[in-house]
Amino acid sequence: MVIGVDQIVIAIVAVVTIPLVLLGYIIVGEQVIERLPERLQTWIRPYFWALPAIGFAGVFMVYPLLRTVVISFRNNADDSWVGFTNYIYFFTFPDTLTSLRNSLLWLVFYTTVSVTLGVIIAILLDRVRYESLAKIAIFLPVPISAVAASIIWKFMFDYHAPGTTQTGTLNALLGTVGHDPVAWLVNSTTNNAALIFVGIWSITGFCMVILSASLKAISSEVLEAARMDGANEFQIVRLVVTPLLWPTITVVGTTMIINALKTFDIVYVLTAGAYDTDVIATQMFSQLAHAHYSRAAAVGVVLFAAIVPLLIVNIRRFQQQEEQR
Amino acid sequence: MLFAKLNPRAIALGIGTLLLTACSLGSSSGNGGASSTDVTVWTAWGGAELKAYRDVLAPFEASSGIKVHLTTNRDSNNQIANGIAAGTDLPDIAPGPTDPVQLRDWVSKGKLKTLESFLDMSAYTSGTYPALTTPPAGQTDDPYIGIIGGKHYLMMIKTQVKGLFWYNKKVFTGTAPKTFDELLAINPSQYGAQKLFCAAFESGTASGWPASDQIDNIIMRQNDATFYTNWIQGKVKFSDPQIKLGYQTFLKEVSPANVYGGANTVLSTNFGKAGDPLFKTPAGCLFLEQATFIPAFFTQDFPSLNLKAGTDFDFFAHPSMGVTADDGNVNGFYDNFSMYNDTPAARKLMQYMATAPAQQIWANDGGTLGAIKSLTYNDPVYKSAADVAGSAKNLLVTAGDFMPSDMQAAFWKSLLDVTNNPGSLDSVLAHLDAVQKAAYATS
Repeated sequence: MVIGVDQIVIAIVAVVTIPLVLLGYIIVGEQVIERLPERLQTWIRPYFWALPAIGFAGVFMVYPLLRTVVISFRNNADDSWVGFTNYIYFFTFPDTLTSLRNSLLWLVFYTTVSVTLGVIIAILLDRVRYESLAKIAIFLPVPISAVAASIIWKFMFDYHAPGTTQTGTLNALLGTVGHDPVAWLVNSTTNNAALIFVGIWSITGFCMVILSASLKAISSEVLEAARMDGANEFQIVRLVVTPLLWPTITVVGTTMIINALKTFDIVYVLTAGAYDTDVIATQMFSQLAHAHYSRAAAVGVVLFAAIVPLLIVNIRRFQQQEEQR
Repeated sequence: MLFAKLNPRAIALGIGTLLLTACSLGSSSGNGGASSTDVTVWTAWGGAELKAYRDVLAPFEASSGIKVHLTTNRDSNNQIANGIAAGTDLPDIAPGPTDPVQLRDWVSKGKLKTLESFLDMSAYTSGTYPALTTPPAGQTDDPYIGIIGGKHYLMMIKTQVKGLFWYNKKVFTGTAPKTFDELLAINPSQYGAQKLFCAAFESGTASGWPASDQIDNIIMRQNDATFYTNWIQGKVKFSDPQIKLGYQTFLKEVSPANVYGGANTVLSTNFGKAGDPLFKTPAGCLFLEQATFIPAFFTQDFPSLNLKAGTDFDFFAHPSMGVTADDGNVNGFYDNFSMYNDTPAARKLMQYMATAPAQQIWANDGGTLGAIKSLTYNDPVYKSAADVAGSAKNLLVTAGDFMPSDMQAAFWKSLLDVTNNPGSLDSVLAHLDAVQKAAYATS
């Protein structure tokens, strides 16, 4: 692959020019504002400074969002209105319904297992001496890119004809107990579970770290007081620690739900949606890849509508936490 | 404030200069006018294929003095489509569109130049495999090989043949079966092999394509070229009895009794590893159905065996399905070039690539058949493949590649699903009918 000189030049020009233009905007604008009456200055300055950011957000986020909603009600050529056709397609076609079902599976299992494991591990590790070592081990999958993690697991799930050497770790293990190999990613009873498991494996460390930080913030005096009152360790976890952790659990939980709904890479790399493993995001991608832009837009809008309430919950939580400080 | 101390005029001047530089750079990157000394070419080739093409170009550049600016661009079709929509510069020469809809669109916009405008057509059509240059009997057009309104828009330069049955010569010592029934009747244990066939359909997001090659080869031999083309064009339903028969025949090739390792192995193994059991001791299978490119994978997977085409392994052509009238249909694909800008240099290069000496260089470098019939091949595999291509009555393209892309994806997936669960055939075909209805309606 040869990169042309003009590509490099354009990249440099873009990197240099855009900040310079912004700088010019501020300098020239400030020159103008400084000449204005004092009261007008204090009123106009915040708007003036925020305008570029609002402009960027408007052009690159708000406009595409509105346009996506519009396209989802248009035909593919974008020259006539088709009402809810694209949405009806999404909620009636077998392929998209399968993807919807799988996304629900992801939402339920990925979220509950990763958050529950995160809480349990955080609480357990809080009580051992090799805490940081164990945390590193559990956190290790988090920085691995999802594609790399999926490829690692592709090898773990590898399947070869029964009776031959199994190079996949899981099937090699099954072989040692005399069990026939399982085609994890092909068999429709195991494949969704296998994919969700990879997701859980790669995110549990993240949940644990956040929950653990929140756990450390619980004052030891509270726990001491509970012990003085005769509570045993299970009661302390159930009645003291969990309620205090609850705001963090909600935030981590909603983040995980959003992750689950957005799941794409693991499915794309491991099965590419074959054998009924499609999820909403891979479905949206294949609609785009097959040039069904309005259907893809409808899928995108559904996904967005599902995520917005969670975002609102998350933002409220953050605001509450801000207020508590 | 630091900024306030800088002279605003100086800053404005600086920014202005930068912007001007950017604009002038942007406009100077296009290629200027009808050049007789320079020609821009896009290809999708890399590695050995690209090296072979450079070998082809070297004598041309030396003798003509024309400089060829070669770019490997795997997204060339989309970029040209965008270029046409935006009215920007196109490469002088690049692969033409194989999608009939796109081909018609670009032709109607005058973006593709006819071969008739610069080639000696009688020499071209008489020298090239007829299946690549001639519409089916009784028709004037064939958009699948670039013929619209009686004019040719795709210049054929290379071809590959699909649906060949590869075998290990040390294991299978019998004679090649003439019919599919004879093939199925071969007893693998007679030759010390476990099963009749090997197959492997995993190929990432394109999983299922090797299966589609297999069923294409069945359907095109059970039916005539018109039926096959109608099926590609969405005029034949998947639930049609003949298509269903094709699926049922395909399922014989991947039945637990006939295929090495059963469905799970077929679906979990990458297509490149499909042939490995051929060379194991004892052999896992007798035959692997695959295109002309597969030997590279054999030699790559068994470097210690030092496998040689013709002595260690060989192939026979796809046996007849018993419908003699359709036996001449061969499944294959081709590489083509189209001319997008009519310049003296581009004409010369196109004319050169259509000559036998140019294509002989491709043949000598190996790994492909040329489009010209009279080339000679050192590799015994390609020597026999040339016979198969030469005897083809109709060289029919890979069906999925010429269906709308969502139809293709569903078609590939359906083959995985029926391999996994043969009992689902009827519901799978019904689902394909629904996809077909939606796919052809919007494309």
